[in-house]
Amino acid sequence: MNKILRNKRTGDAIFSGLFLLPIILLVGLFIVMPIIQSVIMSFQDYGARNLISGKPGTWNNFENYKSLFRSGLIANSIGITLRFVAIVVFFEFFIGIILALILNSKIKGARFLRSLMMMPWVVPTIVSALIWMWIFQPQYGVFKALVEFLSGGAVDNFAMLNNPQTALWGIILAALWKLTPLMTLLLLAGLSNISEDLLEAATIDGANKFKLFWKIILPSLKPVIKVSVLMAIIENFKQFPLFWTMTGGGPDGATETLAVLSYREAFVSFNHGSGAAVTTIWLLIMIVIVILFNMAFRED
Amino acid sequence: MKQNKWSALKVISRIVLLIVFVFLLFPLFWMLLTSFKTNMEAFRYPPTFIVEEATLQNYVNLFTVNNDFFVYYFNNFKVSGLTTLTTLVVSIMAAYVLSRYKFKWNAALIVLITASQMFPLVSRLISLYSTLTHYNLIDSHFGLILAMTASQAPFTTMLMTGFFDGIPRDIEEAAYVDGAGRFKSFFSIALPLTKSGILAGGIFTFLQAWDDYLHAVTLIQTDSFRTLSAGIALRYLGELSYDWTLINTISIIGTIPMLLLFFFFNKYMIKGIVAGAVKG
Repeated sequence: MNKILRNKRTGDAIFSGLFLLPIILLVGLFIVMPIIQSVIMSFQDYGARNLISGKPGTWNNFENYKSLFRSGLIANSIGITLRFVAIVVFFEFFIGIILALILNSKIKGARFLRSLMMMPWVVPTIVSALIWMWIFQPQYGVFKALVEFLSGGAVDNFAMLNNPQTALWGIILAALWKLTPLMTLLLLAGLSNISEDLLEAATIDGANKFKLFWKIILPSLKPVIKVSVLMAIIENFKQFPLFWTMTGGGPDGATETLAVLSYREAFVSFNHGSGAAVTTIWLLIMIVIVILFNMAFRED
Repeated sequence: MKQNKWSALKVISRIVLLIVFVFLLFPLFWMLLTSFKTNMEAFRYPPTFIVEEATLQNYVNLFTVNNDFFVYYFNNFKVSGLTTLTTLVVSIMAAYVLSRYKFKWNAALIVLITASQMFPLVSRLISLYSTLTHYNLIDSHFGLILAMTASQAPFTTMLMTGFFDGIPRDIEEAAYVDGAGRFKSFFSIALPLTKSGILAGGIFTFLQAWDDYLHAVTLIQTDSFRTLSAGIALRYLGELSYDWTLINTISIIGTIPMLLLFFFFNKYMIKGIVAGAVKG
């Protein structure tokens, strides 16, 4: 009997190994190895020359990091990235939870509204960028007309993306437009899992709407909130096409996030070492934030 | 008194709903409207909200003058389709094992797969670019599809693991007692039972692949190999002036497949995303 069991175990192991091989190869060769390589590259002088000749990079005594800090580029990018992520995630959650509560309140046509709501989410990111650029267009844009109308004609030359003060907000709007639907959908799924009995019992006990929300709905949603907010943080940290298309990091570096900076260093200036240094710093920041986030949301 | 408070909340909630939906839908409406305007009308200020001279000329031009666009479009179908196919094969195999067989290494693999979704893509592309150059896989759809499959597979695997966890093992165990091998229980029992899950995973992967910009823009150099997003960005977005009616028309055509897919498979997609993200 023991032998048969052991045979089954061996067979299971072979079968598992066989079926797991493709994903292990893919993740190993295309994710783990490149990450390690780019961390190594960040300590090297590695540019277009090395790419063409195939010569390995040479150790350059932290020069990539030093020059990024010396020029202030990295500090600027870290600040902008953190601001962007914090603002977008906050509003995504805020709008998302309100919308989810409304759509969950047995409103007429909720299913139809839910489908309609998801439309921006299926629009390709680059198309989202183009739609918003057209809305913000400095001469003929509809947003300029809206601002002119709302200010009673006082502001007649509003150019969202061309002004360092407002450019980031233009991209924040586009990101919110594209990403809030998914957040709402996930929160809505969480809401529909809360048992009716619990809500009813609390209402009978005299809890008003706000108490119901703080004491019952929010705590029961905690696991869903954790996942969807974490997804939003990671997603926005990685945001690239919106920035690259809408402003290219400008004007005057006002929207140059870590993603834009690393891409420009590596693929426009062809200084792969410097680009890799940016992504290494970026990776470290992300790991710290995810750890902090998980600590904050730890199950008590 | 109570009645009043109720309706106040109701009124506020309807107003909020209206504002949010205007925010979500107006940009789409504006894109559609612009695509039917003449260039003259699109470049008028203040903008017109009812098209005065509706025209299909932009669409006709897209098919006749600017038809390079359809090269990108076709490439995008090809690359997204094949990426979805390979991602599904890899993910289903991995997910089945992760769900059915409990080995020590599974836990480590799950951690690795989860963590790998977090790494910034630019970071990987910097070294992938030199590695793929080295193996002559740069500037080819094959290399692009491999890289994109690797990016998609982790999420799809977690999604599919959830679906396999959701179907009872009893049937497979009974089949095993009856002498059915592991391959047989996988192909003829587990796979047919997860059909809707596979559909959900496939649609989700296709949607993500269709949206790709960063892989294609770095790994592809030849214009005729470019996919949709990279093609649009590199060909139609000039430095100084944009042909906005053309761009809005392209945007419409580039979005339509996704909207169709979404409205036909709405139920599966929503189920898939929710299952993948909010498990348990």
